[in-house]
Amino acid sequence: MNNHFKKWQPALVRPVAIAFLIMVLAASLLDPAQAASPEVKPAYALVNCRIFPVAQPVIEKGIILIRDGLIEAVGPAGKIQIPEDAELIEASGLNAYPGLISAHTNLFLEIKEQAQPATPEEYMAAFSQPAEPKEFPWLQIVEKIKPKKQTVETYHRVGITTVVVAPHEGIFQGQSVVLNLNSDQIHGMVLAQPWALHINFATERGVYPSSPMGTLAFIRQKFYDTQHYSQHLQKYRQSPHFLKRPEYDPFLEALLPFVIDKKPIVFQCNNLEEIKRALKIIKEFKLNAVLTGCNEAWRASQQLKSASIPLLVTLDFRPPASSVYAQQGQAIREKAEKEIYPANASNLVKEKMNFSLTSFGLNDTDFVKNLRAAIKAGLPADQALRSLTIEPARTLGLEKQLGSLEPGKIANLILTRGELFDEKTKVVKVIVDGTVFTYEEKGQCEKR
Amino acid sequence: MILFLLSATWLLAGGDLLIKNATILTVTGGVIPNGDVLVLNGVIKQIGQNLTAPAGVRIIEANGRYLMPGIIDTHTHIALSGTNEGTDAVTPEVTMAEVVNADDTSIFTALSGGVTMVHTMHGSANVIGGTNVVLKLKWGKPSEELIVKEAYPTLKFALGENVKQSNRTLLPGRPQRYPATRMGANALIRTELMRAKDYMATWDRYEQLKKSKNPPANLFPPRKDLRLETLADLLRGKLIARCHAYVAPEMIEFLNLSKEFGFKIGAFEHAWEAYKITNELKAAGVGISVFIDSWAYKMEAAEGIAYNAAYCTKKGLLVSINSDSGERIRRLFNEAGKAVKYGLTQDEALKLITINAAKQLGVDRLVGSIEVGKQADLALFSQHPMSAYTRCEMTIIEGDVYFDREALIKKRAGASAQKGGLS
Repeated sequence: MNNHFKKWQPALVRPVAIAFLIMVLAASLLDPAQAASPEVKPAYALVNCRIFPVAQPVIEKGIILIRDGLIEAVGPAGKIQIPEDAELIEASGLNAYPGLISAHTNLFLEIKEQAQPATPEEYMAAFSQPAEPKEFPWLQIVEKIKPKKQTVETYHRVGITTVVVAPHEGIFQGQSVVLNLNSDQIHGMVLAQPWALHINFATERGVYPSSPMGTLAFIRQKFYDTQHYSQHLQKYRQSPHFLKRPEYDPFLEALLPFVIDKKPIVFQCNNLEEIKRALKIIKEFKLNAVLTGCNEAWRASQQLKSASIPLLVTLDFRPPASSVYAQQGQAIREKAEKEIYPANASNLVKEKMNFSLTSFGLNDTDFVKNLRAAIKAGLPADQALRSLTIEPARTLGLEKQLGSLEPGKIANLILTRGELFDEKTKVVKVIVDGTVFTYEEKGQCEKR
Repeated sequence: MILFLLSATWLLAGGDLLIKNATILTVTGGVIPNGDVLVLNGVIKQIGQNLTAPAGVRIIEANGRYLMPGIIDTHTHIALSGTNEGTDAVTPEVTMAEVVNADDTSIFTALSGGVTMVHTMHGSANVIGGTNVVLKLKWGKPSEELIVKEAYPTLKFALGENVKQSNRTLLPGRPQRYPATRMGANALIRTELMRAKDYMATWDRYEQLKKSKNPPANLFPPRKDLRLETLADLLRGKLIARCHAYVAPEMIEFLNLSKEFGFKIGAFEHAWEAYKITNELKAAGVGISVFIDSWAYKMEAAEGIAYNAAYCTKKGLLVSINSDSGERIRRLFNEAGKAVKYGLTQDEALKLITINAAKQLGVDRLVGSIEVGKQADLALFSQHPMSAYTRCEMTIIEGDVYFDREALIKKRAGASAQKGGLS
């Protein structure tokens, strides 16, 4: 349309054009269904399913209209008009939920376990290598991702349609990406790139910082340096006269958007103390932060409540090596894995805290198994659903696109036979960006 | 949280106590046989005989057993998530207060030996380590509640074999870390302190320019360097050096550095050859924090003598006995007791782990002796704590009972999971 107007040169025509534009805009506001481009796009209507929209109450027998990868309408059977061109998908006996979001994964990444030296010779060889720091604040993990169809399908089968893929090495680990699991073609999958900078309270081996207190000093120093670098750059941009230019620093350049422009920083907290340490640094540098891991979040519930920082709580119940539960013998470790950590989420609910659950550290089957264990330990099922849909959507800043079944949002949904978290429930259809994947109980995935 | 709730019912008495009929070793005011101590809100309110407590206050019958001030360990590494940032010889930017680990079971081990307070430190791998922290061993409380804010802020220095890495096997391809000699260590400290002076001057210049009538257009603050910031604090007198040193010449060298740069030394750690330089140490007003009798475990300890602590005490130095260990910490009273064999009286020996230690940490107005107005950090022993046959029965911090041997033994049947209090 814009191209049309450009051809009309006379100045008098312009007000007419503008008035016409306003009319078009007004019309589109009045009737959202007409707002989409005039091109006819493929449409589907899921009919006769039980709908769990998350944002609204459950619809016992409803219709979901999907056009061009977006949800066009959701409602009870009588109230939704099915357009003529929509292909009907009979979904009676099925439950429809928004696609689940796991806001921290290492999906599609090839993580090589470092071989531990076994013989004295190997040991000597390993330790006489000059050590190199593993710091990659500039890393865009999207560039390392090679999506695999098979992996996408295993995640579909447990109901996950959206993932954050985060880097996993070092302290300043790099920048994560939000992906829709709609295919195995990376560019079409991207929802937000980069999403956040990921920081882990890890230690380096053989180089600075090699201790927890060293890591804290290292992180702080980098943040102070970024502030200083930014001040210097600003001054230099104002006037380079009689001012030495700041030396280009790729590390600090990478931190600028996060430390100065307050894009999100995700701190991985593997135990109670790391949560406290992160909160302190976040406050000190006024960061826009998210905590991930958080397997001991219930132990810091008071501090977390007053800080009101989004939490990505992993369903991995194995106590990390740095946790006290891993350091006091087999009995405590097993108790933590079987009883204490699974109750983390339900304890947070009791404290009336919002959080997202993630599959961080888990494969698809353990994710489902542990999710059920968390529910068994007291996490209400509706809360579990929220913490895998609308909560992570908010944390990712994608609440307008994802997290619930509402018109205008991205058509990410799953159809299950049985209630989502029940033992025997199967995911039978997954729709991502409007692409329908069918997973009948047996047999191959069928994509339409 | 869980451990706290569980332990709350039997470990904590709420800060009010009346201890009856104890042999009170006040440390600063002699011995009171058959004395009572009344504690209200964690503070010692009254010491005397036939005291009565307000209704509801727990009464502990000592039956003549020995009540002493809680033991203070001036040099240990317990209750921390890390010990050394060993990748660099100079790391004053690291802060042990940030890595306090309140879940460390060594805390409970220490309580079982009557220890109520520790100066828990960066290790001795570096010439300049990190800032240390003083903790009260409030087992079950969150880490931030353990920190004693009133204590001196201290910075760890180290000299000798550890920082020279003398006892390490050099790996092929890995260079020896600087400094590898005593001269190197001395030069490195001097270099770093001079850098810190430059750093201070840079900031002073900036502040002056900022305040001036026409600050230059291109003015912006200098880089904040946490490493130099800490050393600047040492030079400004806001931090006190605690220096790990074994041999006499190294201690003299460090005394000279402190004179040259005008920083304060809290104490020398281990100081095996302090007996050789008591005059110099006394003139400088520097105390020592030492082992009692575990000398000669490495070359630089070869000339250590078990009379060191006793002799230095007699020469007027402020001496404390430390554990440097999560195990020895539970028998510090035994360690101090050995000083009696080497020439001190029982009272003098007792001071090595109480009031002397409190003075070295800057907390002697709060703890270190049993006096009205001081915090009720107490330990109840079955016999005189300097006896070889004694054992700690009960450990109290600010009027709360954190260790009670009798109650624990009763609990033991059902408390196999008591480890770490995590059940």
